[in-house]
Amino acid sequence: MAEATLLNYVLWLPVLGMAALLVLPRGADAAVRGLAFVVMLLQFVLAAWLYGQFEAGVAGLQFETRLPWIADWGVYYHVGLDGMNVLLVLLTAFLGPLVVAGAVNAIRQDVKLFHAMVFFIQFAMIGTFVAQDLFLFYVFWETMLIPMFLMIGIWGGERRIYATLKFVLYTAFGSILMLAALIYLVWSLYEERGALSFAFTDLYGLDLPMNVQAWLLGAFALSFAIKVPIVPLHTWLPDAHVEAPTAGSVILAGVLLKMGTYGFMKLGFPLFPEAAVAAAPLFMTLAVISIVYGACLALVQDDIKKIIAYSSISHLGYVMLGLACFDLLGVQGAVIQMVSHGLVSAGLFFMVGMIYERCHTRDLAAYGGLAKAMPVYSVFFMVLTLASIGLPATSGFTGEFLVLVGAVSAGWAQHVAGAGSTTLVLGVMAVLGVVLGALYMLRFARLFLFGEERLPGGHAVADLGLREKAILAAIVVAVFWLGIAPAGPLAKTESGSLQFQQLVLGDAAGGAP
Amino acid sequence: MNWQAVFIGMLPEHLLLAGALLLIVVELLSRRPPDGLPLALATLAAAFLAALWLAATGHAGEPFPGQLTVDPAAFAGKAVMLGLAIPVALLARGELEGPRPYLLLLFSLYGACLTLSADSFLTLFIGLELLSLPVYVLVMAGMRGPGSAEAALKYLVLGGTASAMLLMGASLLLGATGTLAIASFAAGLGAGTPLATAGVLLVVAAFFLKGAVVPFHAWAPDAYQGATVPVTAYMAAIVKAGVLLAAVRLFGEAGVPPALVAPIALLPLVSMAWGNLAAIRQSSFRRMIAYSSIAHAGYLFFAFLGAPEGRFEAVAFYVIAYGLMNVLAFAALPAGADDAAADRLESLQGLYSRRPYAAITLGIAMLSLAGLPPFPGFVAKFLIFRNVMEAGYTGIAVAGLLASYLGLYFYLRVLQFAFMGSASGETIPARRLALGASLLCLIPVALLTFFPGWLLERL
Repeated sequence: MAEATLLNYVLWLPVLGMAALLVLPRGADAAVRGLAFVVMLLQFVLAAWLYGQFEAGVAGLQFETRLPWIADWGVYYHVGLDGMNVLLVLLTAFLGPLVVAGAVNAIRQDVKLFHAMVFFIQFAMIGTFVAQDLFLFYVFWETMLIPMFLMIGIWGGERRIYATLKFVLYTAFGSILMLAALIYLVWSLYEERGALSFAFTDLYGLDLPMNVQAWLLGAFALSFAIKVPIVPLHTWLPDAHVEAPTAGSVILAGVLLKMGTYGFMKLGFPLFPEAAVAAAPLFMTLAVISIVYGACLALVQDDIKKIIAYSSISHLGYVMLGLACFDLLGVQGAVIQMVSHGLVSAGLFFMVGMIYERCHTRDLAAYGGLAKAMPVYSVFFMVLTLASIGLPATSGFTGEFLVLVGAVSAGWAQHVAGAGSTTLVLGVMAVLGVVLGALYMLRFARLFLFGEERLPGGHAVADLGLREKAILAAIVVAVFWLGIAPAGPLAKTESGSLQFQQLVLGDAAGGAP
Repeated sequence: MNWQAVFIGMLPEHLLLAGALLLIVVELLSRRPPDGLPLALATLAAAFLAALWLAATGHAGEPFPGQLTVDPAAFAGKAVMLGLAIPVALLARGELEGPRPYLLLLFSLYGACLTLSADSFLTLFIGLELLSLPVYVLVMAGMRGPGSAEAALKYLVLGGTASAMLLMGASLLLGATGTLAIASFAAGLGAGTPLATAGVLLVVAAFFLKGAVVPFHAWAPDAYQGATVPVTAYMAAIVKAGVLLAAVRLFGEAGVPPALVAPIALLPLVSMAWGNLAAIRQSSFRRMIAYSSIAHAGYLFFAFLGAPEGRFEAVAFYVIAYGLMNVLAFAALPAGADDAAADRLESLQGLYSRRPYAAITLGIAMLSLAGLPPFPGFVAKFLIFRNVMEAGYTGIAVAGLLASYLGLYFYLRVLQFAFMGSASGETIPARRLALGASLLCLIPVALLTFFPGWLLERL
C-alpha cells in the first residue's frame, strides 16, 4: 500500500518545516508565519485524508511503518494508527494551523524561534500518539518538555520562569520513575522470552506477578497522572496555563493534557491489567474528586484564564472516569471527551487570548456586558461555554453523556452482581459534577458577557477580526460535528476502545455489553 | 621484540610523538614563537585516523607482551579521545599562546593512549602520570589570577595522592597475587582476602580521585574554574574519558562481587546527588560544569555494576556523548578579555538574541547533559541504568535515576539565562575558531540523535 508511508509525512512534516525556517533570514517575520501556516495546514490536510482513509472496525494498526532503529536493543521506529490514536492525531493536526494563525499579533519577539517550537512540539506530540514502541514513545514523551519549556519561558507572562520550571520539574519527576519502570518491564520481557523488544504488542502479553504489576503501574500512573493532571498532582497546571502565551495554553489544554489520559489508555492499564482492575476504584475516586474539586475551584476564580485551567482538571476527570470503569460506552465516551475538551478548551483559551490582546487584563471583575460591546465575540463565547457545559448537539454532550452512561451502567452491573456499590455511587456523584460545570461556566459567562457594560480602561474595543472569526468558526464547526454526527468518529474509534477493554479485562469480557 | 607489531600497533602513539618532536624542533629553529595549532591539528587528525583505521580493521597485537597490548576496543577508545581533542585544540586559539600548550596536549594524549593499552600496573601508572602531568601545567598556564596557581597546586597534590594510592594498591595486589599484571586486579576482586580487597579498594579510590567522585572530588571545581576554557574542556571531555576507559580495561571480564557492590555503588550515587545539588548554587559556568562532571562521574562508575560484556559499550558511548556535549557547550561560551567575568552565568543573559547559533548549541548541550531525549545523552544514560538494572540492582538503579533528576534544574537554568533573559545590549564576542569546533561536535551529535543504533552496533 503506497499510502502506508503517509503517516510518516504527517509526523515528519514539522521537522522539514524547522529545517526550512533555518533558511529564512532573521526578521522576515511575515515569511516565517506564512511558511509555518502553510506547513501546518498541509499537515492537517494530510491528517484529515488519513482519517478519511482509516478503516473503521478493523482491529490492529493501519498505515504502519516498522524499521529497525537501535537494532541491538530491539528498538524499532514503529508507528501506526489505530482506533485509540486516530482521532487524537487529527485533533493535533487540526489545532496546528490555528495556533499559528492565533499568534500573529500576540507573538512579536523571536518569531522564528517561536514557530520552530510550534513545529517541534507538533512533531513530539504526534510522535507520542503514533509510536508503537515503548522506547520511541518515551523519547517523544520527554522531548515534548523541551519546546513547552521554552514556549512558556520565553513568551509567557510575568511569572513565566517560575511557571515553566514548575511544569518541567513536575512532569520530569514522573517521567524518571516511568523510565525506571520501562527498563524493568523490558528486562522482565527479556527474561521471559529471551528476546529484547519494546513493542507494545509484545509487552501486552507479559505475565507479571501482581506486586510487580502494582509497582510498575504506580510508576507509569504517576507520570501519566501528573500530565493529565489528576488531583492532587494538578498544582503545576494553573501556573503553567496562566503564564503561558495563548498558543502555549492552547497546545497545553488542547493536546498535551491528553497525553496523560492517552498514556493510561494505551499503556498504563493494558500493560498491567490485573493491577489496573484492582486499582480501578482508586482511579475512579480520584477522577470524581478531580471533577468536583476542579469545578469548585473554577467557581471561585477571579482570573479568567484560571477558570478555564481549573475546568480542564474537571473535564479530564470525566476522561479518567470513562477509562477506569472499563465499560465500552464509557471508554468510547472518554475518547470523544478527550477530543471535545481539546476543541472547547482550545477555543476558550483562544478567546481569552483575544480579549487579553485588547484589554491587557485577565481580571474577571474588570469585565462586564461584553455582549453589547463585542457581539460576535460573545456569540462564539456562549457557544463554547455551552459546549463546555455539555449541552446536547455539542461535542461536550457526546463525551460526558457516554462516560456517565458507561460509569453508571458498570456500577449498576456491579451493584446487581453484589460486588459493592462504590462504582455506582461514584458514577452518580460524577453526574452531579455536570451541575457544577454548568454553575461555574454560566457564572463566568454572566459576569463576563452580561450585566452593566464595563471594559478595562473604559475605552471601546473592536470586535473580532476576520482572522479571529475564522479560527473560532473552525473550532465551532468541529464542536458541532462531534455533537451532531458522532456516529462516524465513534465507529472509527470503536476498535480501539474494544482493544483496550479486551486487553484490560481479558478476552472473556470482550464484545459489547 | 616484534618491531612490526610495535610500529603498527602503536601507530597513533608514534604519530603523536612525531608531532610533538616536530613542534619542539620548529620552536628551536624559529626566532619568534611559531603558531603550534596547524601542526598540532595535523598530528591529531593523523593519529585519530590511524586509531580509527586500526579499530575498523580489527587490528590486535602485542607490541610489548605483558606490558602493552593492543586490541580493537583500545583503538576505539584512543580514536574517541583523539577525535575529541581536535575541537578542543581549535578552542585553544586565542587562549593559549605559542607552541608549548599544544606540546603539552600531545604528550598528555600520548599518556591517555598508553593507559588504554596497559597490561601491567607499571604501564598504567606511566600512562596516567603522563596523562595528568601536562594538565597540571596547562591549568597553571592560564595564569588568569591567583586562582589558577591555587587550582593547579590543589590538582597536583590530589593527583599525586591518587598516584600514591594506585601504587600502594598495586603493591598490595602484587603481594596478594604475585604479579603486577593488571589481571591481578580482576583476580583480587574475586579473591576476597583482606590483602587483595585492600589493594582493590585503593586502586578503585585512585580512579575515583582521578575521575572526581565524591568524596575525592574537591580538586575538580577549583581546577575547572581556574583553568582556561580549552583546558577545562580537555579535562572534562578527554581526561575523564581516559580515566574511565582505563578503568574498563582494568576491570576486564571481572564482575563486581556482592561484597564490594556497596562501596562501588554508594560513592558514585552520592557523587550524582551531591554534584547535581552543588551545581545548582554555582554562579561560574566552569564551576557548574565541574560539579556536573562530578555527577557524571557517578553515572559512569555505575556502569561497572553491570555485566562485564556491556561495560565497554556503555562507557564508550557515554564518554563520546558526554565529551561532545561539553566541547559543544564550551564552544558556545562568550570570549572576553576578563575571563572571570565571561565565566559568570549572567554573561549568558540574552545569548539567543545576540548569537542565536551559540545559544541553540549551548541549549542542546545542556539538555543532552541533563539526559533529556532526543539527544544522545539520554541514550547514554539509558544504557548505563539498563545495565545496572539487568545486573539485578533495581533499587540502586532507581536511586541513581532519582539522583539524576536532581540535575535537571541547573541545566535548565542555563537555558533560562540564554533564552529567557533580556540582552544587556553589549555584544559578546565569540571565540575564534569556535564555529569550527562546534560544528565538529554538532554533526556527530545530530547523527547520534537520529541513528544511535549505528554506533551502538559497532562498540
